[in-house]
Amino acid sequence: MLAKHRTLMTIVLILAGLLILPHYLKYHQQDFLIFLVVNVLVVASYRLVTLTGEWSLIHAVMMGIGAYTSGMLTKFLDFSFWISLPLAGVVAGLTAALLSFPLFRTTQFYFLIGSFAAGEAIRLSWIHFIRPFGGTSGISALPSPELLGIDFLEPIPYFYLTLAIVTACLVILYRIEKSRIGLTLHAVHWQAPLAESVGINTWNYRTLAFTTGSMFVGIAGALKVHYIGTVTPNQYGIGFMVFILIWLIVGGYKTFYGAILGVIILSILDEMFRELEVIRPAVYGAVLILFILYLPDGLESLPQKIASRIKGASPKGSHS
Amino acid sequence: MTNRTIDNNRRKFLKQAGAGMAAVAGAGMVPLRSYADDTLVVGMNIPMTGDYAPWGLPGLYDCEIIANNINAAGGVEIGGKSYQIRVAAYDHAYDTEKALQGFKKLVLEDDAKMVMMLGGSTVASVLPWATRKKVLTTTLLPSDITPDSDYLFATCESHPLYNVTGVVWLAQNYPEAKKAVIVTNNDAEYGLQSAATYKAAFEVAGIEVVDVNLHGFDVTDFAPIVSSVLAKNPDIFCMATSFYVTPLMEQLYHQGFDGKIISCTLDYYEEIIAKTSEEFVNGTIYQFPDFDDPMLNNEGIHFPDPGGFDAAFRKDHPNDWSAVAWEYPAILLNWIENAQRVGSGESEDVAKYLRNNSQNFVFGGGDWWGSQLWGLDHALVGRWPVVVIENGKARIQEYGDLSAWLADHTEVLVRHMKELGLRTV
Repeated sequence: MLAKHRTLMTIVLILAGLLILPHYLKYHQQDFLIFLVVNVLVVASYRLVTLTGEWSLIHAVMMGIGAYTSGMLTKFLDFSFWISLPLAGVVAGLTAALLSFPLFRTTQFYFLIGSFAAGEAIRLSWIHFIRPFGGTSGISALPSPELLGIDFLEPIPYFYLTLAIVTACLVILYRIEKSRIGLTLHAVHWQAPLAESVGINTWNYRTLAFTTGSMFVGIAGALKVHYIGTVTPNQYGIGFMVFILIWLIVGGYKTFYGAILGVIILSILDEMFRELEVIRPAVYGAVLILFILYLPDGLESLPQKIASRIKGASPKGSHS
Repeated sequence: MTNRTIDNNRRKFLKQAGAGMAAVAGAGMVPLRSYADDTLVVGMNIPMTGDYAPWGLPGLYDCEIIANNINAAGGVEIGGKSYQIRVAAYDHAYDTEKALQGFKKLVLEDDAKMVMMLGGSTVASVLPWATRKKVLTTTLLPSDITPDSDYLFATCESHPLYNVTGVVWLAQNYPEAKKAVIVTNNDAEYGLQSAATYKAAFEVAGIEVVDVNLHGFDVTDFAPIVSSVLAKNPDIFCMATSFYVTPLMEQLYHQGFDGKIISCTLDYYEEIIAKTSEEFVNGTIYQFPDFDDPMLNNEGIHFPDPGGFDAAFRKDHPNDWSAVAWEYPAILLNWIENAQRVGSGESEDVAKYLRNNSQNFVFGGGDWWGSQLWGLDHALVGRWPVVVIENGKARIQEYGDLSAWLADHTEVLVRHMKELGLRTV
């Protein structure tokens, strides 16, 4: 009970800090903060997909599906952002549900490669079909959200909007994981044959995780493009997918906060090292290899490791 | 392009490593930069790393040369006051998120009065904010112009319109060449725009286009592409691309093509000659001169001391000259000229002046154009050089009259743009 209160208190403090943070940042850092919060949802939703043990390479494209959906609905059909935003999630989720039929005929490595192929097919169709997707130029001049005369083209109002939506999504994702469904997803990952032996349809649960994760990343895509004002296929290529993987692996995928920790720390480091853009991929690669070798459970396992080291060291010290 | 990018990146890295480490150490909530009252800041929100770096970095080097020369001579007088010029640059690596961040940094933190950009999706990402905040922005791709992009101007490169001048020259000098093939990357920002323009120019010149090969950005082997188009027995091989010129030229060489070659750019042609032969590359027609060309001393050229400028660039960056090397400086000089005329460096004042007044284009002439295609007359078009490789060196043959061609044939151009699904008004 005490731990629960402590966690709640920490969350409240973090949110309070986030509410005042943009006012102390420089203009371009406010933009960075918006993209960071969006990426938190990206990586948290991806983690839901991986709970069943299936790592896909289509998550970035699913984000793009949400982005294109919302962009096209608002630009060509004059939909309100407030309607296109949930629809972005719905379309991304439905696409994932449809893709589940061929993709979940496979598992593990074959699913990984299959998801990559499906994602590239979708992304290349955005490039090939200039109408209606705009080709490599994508779709530009997307409208900003409108609400009570608030100017969402400015970074601080948009940050608060993003923070509110992402927080709500994170709460839902957290509740899913802690529910019976979440426990079943874990079971599908770690004990699939056993789960099947007690009547759990593992295909259904894999599809559920894939669809739900895609739905939330679709919302993230819509949030991002209505701030940038343009959606292009290159934003959702394999390069961005690799970043998602690294954020998750470095942060750790066993706990809810691990992935979030990964995206926050690496994004801040990334921004600090932006003058060294040329070697950034090499730095990312090196970080990934080092974490796999020395901290395979990610940053989330670091406090535990340090604590056990201290505990392990103390008795030795006392003996001497 | 790729090797060049890597070379550029390596050099860039070595240069930036020290500065970067210092920046890392001091990163975070550093106070906003402020320059002295007698300094006007011009922003460059460009790709300095990644695949697009050759179309950003050389421009930065050259703008620094121009700014240093101006400052060494005592600065520029604007509105009765003398100002130093400072170039502030942000590397967006051709990423839309970073482009938006960089644009805001340059305008709000560095107080840039004008921001130069390469174009494409990175311009699209800053356009809503730039228009709202009335920030004078320039692009090298006039196709970025929209009916409501009031503060976006293309004052130098009129990509891809100038390609027509090369075709006109080719048709006049090689009337026996009657069949052309076009190869380009299938993208709406660069390749298709060029392909549509070349198709229009060939149609007007009475040259039949027997094949158009649109390939993806992921192509690494150009042998089958070149083989398939050469099977149509063309007299002219047209590269409506700037990304894959070197591998295409290599394939043309290896497959023994002996017709005419026309291209939008021929960046780093010395490398192409090294990979093929001087004899093969000689005669290639394209559109971007070296600035040591004697024809740049002709009357009507609106660029001070092109030869000295070329020498200064190559002294410090001997292998980095590219199509954009002189373009950003030309934009900078145009901006200074207009700021002097209007007596203010403020974005809104200069933009208003640009809209309402005629301009001196870098190669002579200068008409605002674009409303027929993009909705606003914000692209400055004038004379454009037709360049041919002679004895292994780029040499201007003539200045084509782009304005005249557009006056007579805009409807053909618009039709071809529409046929390829490109945005028109």
